[in-house]
Amino acid sequence: MGLTRIRSVGRCLADKIVTNDDLAGLMETDDEWIQQRSGIQQRHHISENTGPADLGAVAARQALDRAGLEPGDIDCILFGTLSPDYDMPASACVLQDRLGIPDVPAMDVRNQCTGFLYGLTVADAFIQAGRYERVLLVGGEVHSTGLDFTTRGRQVAVLFGDGAGAAVIERGDDDERGILSTHLHSDGKFADKLWLEAVSARAPHRLTEEMITSDDPPIFPKMQGRYVFKHAVTRSAEAIREAVAAGGYSVSDIDLLVPHQANLRINQAVAMALEFPEEKVVNNIQKLGNTTAATIPIALYDALEDGRLNEGDLVCLVAFGAGFTWASVLLRW
Amino acid sequence: MGASILGLSHELPPRKDVGGVSRPVVASPSGPSELAYSACAVAFSEAGWSPESVEMIVFATMTPDVTFPGAGCFLQDSLGCATVGALDVRGQCSGFLMGLAVANDLIEAGKYERILLAAAEVHSSAMDESEAGQWVSSLYGDGGAVLALGREPGFGAIRKIVCGSEGRHHQRFWVEFPACGRYPTRVTVDDLKRGGHYLQIDRDHVSEFGREKLPQVVGEVLELDGSAADEVDVFIVSHIFPEVAADAAAALSIPAERLIVASEENGHLTAASLPVAFDQARRDGRIGTGARVCLATCGAGYTWGAALLECE
Repeated sequence: MGLTRIRSVGRCLADKIVTNDDLAGLMETDDEWIQQRSGIQQRHHISENTGPADLGAVAARQALDRAGLEPGDIDCILFGTLSPDYDMPASACVLQDRLGIPDVPAMDVRNQCTGFLYGLTVADAFIQAGRYERVLLVGGEVHSTGLDFTTRGRQVAVLFGDGAGAAVIERGDDDERGILSTHLHSDGKFADKLWLEAVSARAPHRLTEEMITSDDPPIFPKMQGRYVFKHAVTRSAEAIREAVAAGGYSVSDIDLLVPHQANLRINQAVAMALEFPEEKVVNNIQKLGNTTAATIPIALYDALEDGRLNEGDLVCLVAFGAGFTWASVLLRW
Repeated sequence: MGASILGLSHELPPRKDVGGVSRPVVASPSGPSELAYSACAVAFSEAGWSPESVEMIVFATMTPDVTFPGAGCFLQDSLGCATVGALDVRGQCSGFLMGLAVANDLIEAGKYERILLAAAEVHSSAMDESEAGQWVSSLYGDGGAVLALGREPGFGAIRKIVCGSEGRHHQRFWVEFPACGRYPTRVTVDDLKRGGHYLQIDRDHVSEFGREKLPQVVGEVLELDGSAADEVDVFIVSHIFPEVAADAAAALSIPAERLIVASEENGHLTAASLPVAFDQARRDGRIGTGARVCLATCGAGYTWGAALLECE
């Protein structure tokens, strides 16, 4: 019958490069502080009205072009984001509008940093169950319009970039190559360690002026960095072990590890914990920052461009983030 | 093999007057995960589950507890399940059917045996309480439902599900702000002053689209299943405007005794509309053993969907 495979990928970065020095002009921070803690040198931000679906449409067209396909060849749209174009409806609907493909189902996957891997799992299930033949999975974020670029918000604001990655997912004709297994987890006990509280259904009023103007506005994301760091390293390593074990492999069999890009130091610590060589880990956070749901498809794109990802490679995708949620996918490229 | 419904329950908060109509409205601030949690005990008992039985959570809502993480994570925590996956789906009025398709296929593809599907909304905290906003706020209610889905036979079998969208009309029925792509700030005090954070509904367009799409999608799911309309015992139709659901049923020549308009009594519950109406109907005897049930919805996005279930 054939495993589900990622046929092609595309990416789109927001148009403006923002360096650490640029941020140092807005808040008390400096290049060394940011690089030491996160490895980030620069990130992209939008510089005019541009939604995640706009970035996603460019990434999607690129992925479709690379596969020699047209938008009309897609029969389902999945969009991973935590920064949707509008409060409602889903960004998947906005992307559908941009691509001009009527009637196909379009839904958002709201799973933060693990959004792409949750979406990939759903796409795999849809395809293996025979519901859809070709799924467009996009991860897209515009973070920069919702960050606190004062010294108060520096711990979070310096980390994030705007961008989108897209993947065309379909059934291959091979039982050996494609998605081998998927693994999803969550632990809501830690929901408030990394979260964006407002807009909040459980507030007396979902969105108020007070939420925008208060001294500690809940419309900005909050993170307890050390908590996240510690759990990210443990859970990512665990998820990688879970994925390789499910396929009867060991960690050393992995040809390429493509982790979510939240923090270079996390990815280094994961590699160290697994005694996995860092040269087999894809990291591009230095230039892009954390683009949340978009990190993994962008990293796949970059790895293909750099010739680091090749046919037949055993690839492990792994992500950890807000929820907490974490996930891994093992695939043979 | 598709999935079966092993347990189903719903939770509606106490009723309250909203613009002259009675609606279920949460008494104190609470998120949709709390409504879903309250429904779990009955559904679990029907399915013979404990929280440890759950292998995966799928949560459909357009009014999550907080912007992120998703309502599924809060439900996972309150249930005290293992560290299972918790997926949040945003499909507005079709969120339940999209979530049902996801859960069904995760089971059918062999990834999981037992999935908890939740659909819940707390709309009341998002409403414009001014006089101008009353026509919209009176359309909505708060409520939630949960389904215990599994591979083994249960009381309901999922025969077929179809879903679709037409994003070209996303601004006909939407909440614009926060708008993350709006440079340089996704929401300002001015946006709120203009009411841009409230639901905007183009009543005529939304109604017209629903009247056209609902009969179409019902026809589609029946055709896919190879069933005729008269083989369906009960149709549950959901639309923000109850009269549109009724018109669609009339276009399909569905007699009144076989029709349930989901939003009539509770107001529109968005993702929760269909499963709450389904559970209410089976508990009050309108849906009996052996009944074939068709669920259909059309709403914001636009998105739409239909499912054919069989009670065993």
